[in-house]
Amino acid sequence: MYEFLQYRVKDAMTPEPVTTTPDTPLRELEAIFEEHDFNGVPVLDDVGNLIGLVTKFDLLKAFTLTPKSIIPHYDDIMQQPASSVMLLEPLTVTPNLPLSRALQRLVEMRVKSFPVVEGERLVGIISREDVLTALRRATEHMQPGQGA
Amino acid sequence: MTTLLYHHPVCAEHDMGYGHPECPERLTAILDALRKPEFAELQWREAPQAEQEQLTRIHPAHYVERILDSVPESGLYALDGDTSLSPQSGEAALRAAGAFCAAVDAVMSGDANNAFCAVRPPGHHAEPHRAMGFCLFNNVAIGAAHAQAIHGLKKVAVIDFDVHHGNGTQAAFWSQPDCMYISTHQSPLYPGTGRRNERGVGNILNVPLAPYSGTAELREAWGTIIMPALNDFRPEFILISAGFDAHQMDPLAELNFTFEDYAWLTQEILDIADDCCHGRVVSGLEGGYNLQALAASAAVHVATLLKATNP
Repeated sequence: MYEFLQYRVKDAMTPEPVTTTPDTPLRELEAIFEEHDFNGVPVLDDVGNLIGLVTKFDLLKAFTLTPKSIIPHYDDIMQQPASSVMLLEPLTVTPNLPLSRALQRLVEMRVKSFPVVEGERLVGIISREDVLTALRRATEHMQPGQGA
Repeated sequence: MTTLLYHHPVCAEHDMGYGHPECPERLTAILDALRKPEFAELQWREAPQAEQEQLTRIHPAHYVERILDSVPESGLYALDGDTSLSPQSGEAALRAAGAFCAAVDAVMSGDANNAFCAVRPPGHHAEPHRAMGFCLFNNVAIGAAHAQAIHGLKKVAVIDFDVHHGNGTQAAFWSQPDCMYISTHQSPLYPGTGRRNERGVGNILNVPLAPYSGTAELREAWGTIIMPALNDFRPEFILISAGFDAHQMDPLAELNFTFEDYAWLTQEILDIADDCCHGRVVSGLEGGYNLQALAASAAVHVATLLKATNP
């Protein structure tokens, strides 16, 4: 585990993640989720700055029962833009944050991933899976009994 | 004395399209349940078509005309995103409203103590000027107005335990001090009305329930809010908007009512009716979209009505 404590977010993150725009219909987002098995996709503005995050949770939320209609209609909802459901100002981390701190925050916030930003520019995404992989990588060269 | 069951086959021919939850099978499931031997005492009656003057006590004549004129010869005519007309919808809607009026007549004449109208389309979302939420004519409000106009009754109460708020009934009764409207419903949920502070002229009593509310919350609300209000109002006739979509298995909401809750609630209403108005109760179907839960809940409701007349 000592090696893990040396890791920064940039050592474990997925760089250049798939992104989307606020105008992208939910139907296309669902196709992205289907193809890549991501849980969330960062939403960027015209100049590439992070403005939101849209997740499978947000997609599901669009189908919950609300006062607007007695039955949620699939086609109508899937035509809505990402901006209608995305989380604005998502929690982010910076590339130089110790990975142990990112792990801590993932657990405390109960989220599945954080966009990684330098200023407003997106540079990657760090997910539960990325951190689990880093934990394994940091400890796999050790002999049994040296886990601490 | 017995319980009357009003129905008509055409109510199962109103069909809003493949897969629509407000489907003909809802009625078939209920009627199948009510054909079992324990309901042998139930007297089945054909629901007549409502007369124009019965409808226009609640809806303007031009609205009635527009609905009936919009009925297509084939296919569907959409009134809103979820409410459509099929070729038999006009007659079904007339018989649904007519059932409530005929049931009121029968109970007032002493033919029966109480009655259940197994009809569709439902009615409690239909506002005087607007069809919505699967509803065309406001059957229960039309029944209440009929009781006042024809039978000289002054004070009439509608108790609505459908999971959705009956915005249409509330709108029809809004400035009518002698028409009390009481609703338990999930909030937030469609249609978004039914807040506690919507009081009309003091005659509207909304009891919104948070998602996942069930037996305990229902009984608390009934005992502390609804029963005292009904005892104060002392209705001369009680009508029930009997939707069964607050049941824990319903797909369109998140309340957790049980079969026992429907039996209990029905008995509570009957007890108040005995105390205030010689047991006069007319109930009619609104929502309920899990066919098994709907049929069993309606059966429990009708069994309780029937037990009151055959103690």
